[in-house]
Amino acid sequence: MSSHTFVQALLSGILLGCFYAVMALGFSMILGVTRALNLAHGDLIILGGYLGYWLWSGSGLHPLLLVPVAGAALLPLALLCQWLFQRLPEPKELSSLMLTFGLSLLLQNFMLGLWRGEYRIIASEPLTASVRVGSLVLNQGRLIVAAAALILVAALYLGLTRTRWGRAVRATSLDREAAALLGINVDEATRTTFLLAFGLSGGAGVLFATLHYLYPAGGIEVTLLAIVLTIWAGAGRLRSVLLASILLGVIETLTLTWSGPRWRELVVALMLLGSLLARSGGLARSRSR
Amino acid sequence: MPRRGWIGTSLVAAALLLFPPLSGFHPYYLYLVSTALLFGTLATSWNLLAYAGQISFGHAAFFGLGGYTAALVSLSGLSPWLALALGGAVGASGAAAIGMASARLSGASLALGTLAYTEIWRGIAHNWTAVSGGGAGLIGIPPLTPLPWLPLDLARSRTGSYYLALAFLLLVIAVFWGILRSRLGLAFAAVREEEERASLLGVHPLPWKVLAFALSGFFSGLAGGLYVNMVRVVEPDLIFSHYFSILPLVMATFGGLGTLLGPALAALALYLASELLLHPYIPAFHQLPYALALIVVALYLPGGLAGLLPSPSPLPKRGEGETRHGAA
Repeated sequence: MSSHTFVQALLSGILLGCFYAVMALGFSMILGVTRALNLAHGDLIILGGYLGYWLWSGSGLHPLLLVPVAGAALLPLALLCQWLFQRLPEPKELSSLMLTFGLSLLLQNFMLGLWRGEYRIIASEPLTASVRVGSLVLNQGRLIVAAAALILVAALYLGLTRTRWGRAVRATSLDREAAALLGINVDEATRTTFLLAFGLSGGAGVLFATLHYLYPAGGIEVTLLAIVLTIWAGAGRLRSVLLASILLGVIETLTLTWSGPRWRELVVALMLLGSLLARSGGLARSRSR
Repeated sequence: MPRRGWIGTSLVAAALLLFPPLSGFHPYYLYLVSTALLFGTLATSWNLLAYAGQISFGHAAFFGLGGYTAALVSLSGLSPWLALALGGAVGASGAAAIGMASARLSGASLALGTLAYTEIWRGIAHNWTAVSGGGAGLIGIPPLTPLPWLPLDLARSRTGSYYLALAFLLLVIAVFWGILRSRLGLAFAAVREEEERASLLGVHPLPWKVLAFALSGFFSGLAGGLYVNMVRVVEPDLIFSHYFSILPLVMATFGGLGTLLGPALAALALYLASELLLHPYIPAFHQLPYALALIVVALYLPGGLAGLLPSPSPLPKRGEGETRHGAA
C-alpha cells in the first residue's frame, strides 16, 4: 500500500467514522438510561432510510432537508418502545434482547410489506460528485454526511453537558435510584432520551440511505456495528463513541483497501465476537467507570 | 402430568402425525407439515441447550452449517443419507466451537456472541465462492435415494421428507427425554442453576456446556440438511437467516422452557397457524405471530429467561427450579 493510498484510506476512514458515530449513538444512549439492548436499532435506521427514500423520490428535495423529517417520523415509535421497555423484567439485558428481537422482526415485516424488499438508495445528484483536495479525491456525499453527523453529535454533546435536561439524563444513566432520590425526574429524562435516540436514528437512516443500499433485512449489520462501538466506548459516553467510531472507520477502510469490500460484514461480526470475548462481562458494566 | 400421561400423549401425537401422508394430503400441505416438524426439531434442540442454561440467538448458524454440508456432500455424488448425517456432525462441531465461548460469555453476552457467530458464517458463505457458490448459493441438490430395506418410495411426492422430519423430531424428543432422566440431565441442571456451586462440587461447567451445544447443534444440523434437501437450493441469506434463530427461540419459550413436548407443539401450532391462516391473506405479515409471541414472552414470562439462568444471589432459591422443570 503506497503512502498516498494510505492517506486516502485514512481520510475516508475518518469520514466514515463520523457517520458511524451517529448510527451508534441511539443504541448507546438507550443502553445508558435503561440498561436495555435494542436489537431493533439497525431496523430503525433502515426504516428512517426508507422514509427518506420515499419522501425524496416523491418530492425531489435535498436529502439533508429530509433528515429532520425522518427523525420526527420515528418519535411516536420512541414513546411506544419506552412504554414496552419499562415493562421488561430483570435481568434487563437478556429480556430486552428477546423483546427487541421480536420488534426487529416486526419492523422488517412492516418494511417488507410497504417496500417489497427491493434494494433502494437515495442517488441524489449533488451527493455523488467528488471533491479534489490536492491529490486526494473525496466523495462529496461522504463529506456532507460526515459534517451532518458531526453537527448532530456536537449538538447532542452540548445538550448533555450544558443543559439541565442533559444533567438529568447523565445522572439517570449513572445511577437511576440515586438520581430519583435527589429529585430528578428520571421518567422524564428517560422519555426524552428515547425521543432523541429514535429521532437521531431516523435522521441517521436518511444519511445511511445516501451511502448504502437499503433492504428490509439490512438492519442487523448496523445493530452489530452499534454494539461493537458501544462495547469499545462504554454506554452513553459520547466523546468515546465518536473516538471509537473514527477508530473503527479507519480500521475498516484500511482492511477493506487491503482485502476488498466483500469482507465488510464479516469483519464487523468478527470484531463483535472478539470484543465480547475480550470484555467477558455485562455490557452495561462499562457505565460505572 | 404423570409420566404415563406424557407417553400416551406422544403416542396419540405420533399416530396423528403418521396420518397425513397416508390419507393423500396435497404435496404442498405435506411440505408445510414437514417444515413444521423441522421447526419442532429445531425448537426442541434449542430447548435442550436452554436446559443447560445457555440462551442461543444463533441456531441459524448450526442449521445453516448442516444445510451447506448436506448440500455439498450430496452434490459431490455421495449418498444423500450420508450427507444428512455429515450435516448433523458439522452442525455439532460448529455449535461446540461457539460453545467454547461460553467459558467467558453468559446470558446476554453469549446471546450476542451466538448472533455474531451466525453473521460470521453468513459472511463466509457469501465470500468463499469456490466452495459455497457465493451469494447465488448452490442449486440442484439431489433428492433422497430409496433405501433397499425400506418399502417406502421416499422420492415420491414429499412423503420421504415428511417421514424423515417426523423421525428427526421423535429422535430429538427421545434423546431429550433420556437426558432428563439420566445423570447427564442432572449435570445440565446443575450447570444451569448454580454454575459456581456445581464447579465447587466437582462438576466442571465448560465440558457440559460444550456437550449441550454439540447435541443441540447436531439436531439443528440434521434439520438444516433435510430442509436443504426439501427446498433443493441453499443460499447464504436464506439459510443463515435470523428467521431460523428467532423461530426456535419463540417456539421453545412460548411452548414452555424445560418441558419435553411444549416446544415441539408450539412449533407445530405457530408455524401452521402462520402459514395456513396468515400467509394466504397477508403474505408480507405472516411472521407477525412470532414477533408478537416473542414480545409477549419477553414481557410476561414469569421471571423472563432469567428463570433459566443461575440466580445472581449467592443463596439458591430452593424449589424454584424443581417446580419450573417439574413437568419434564
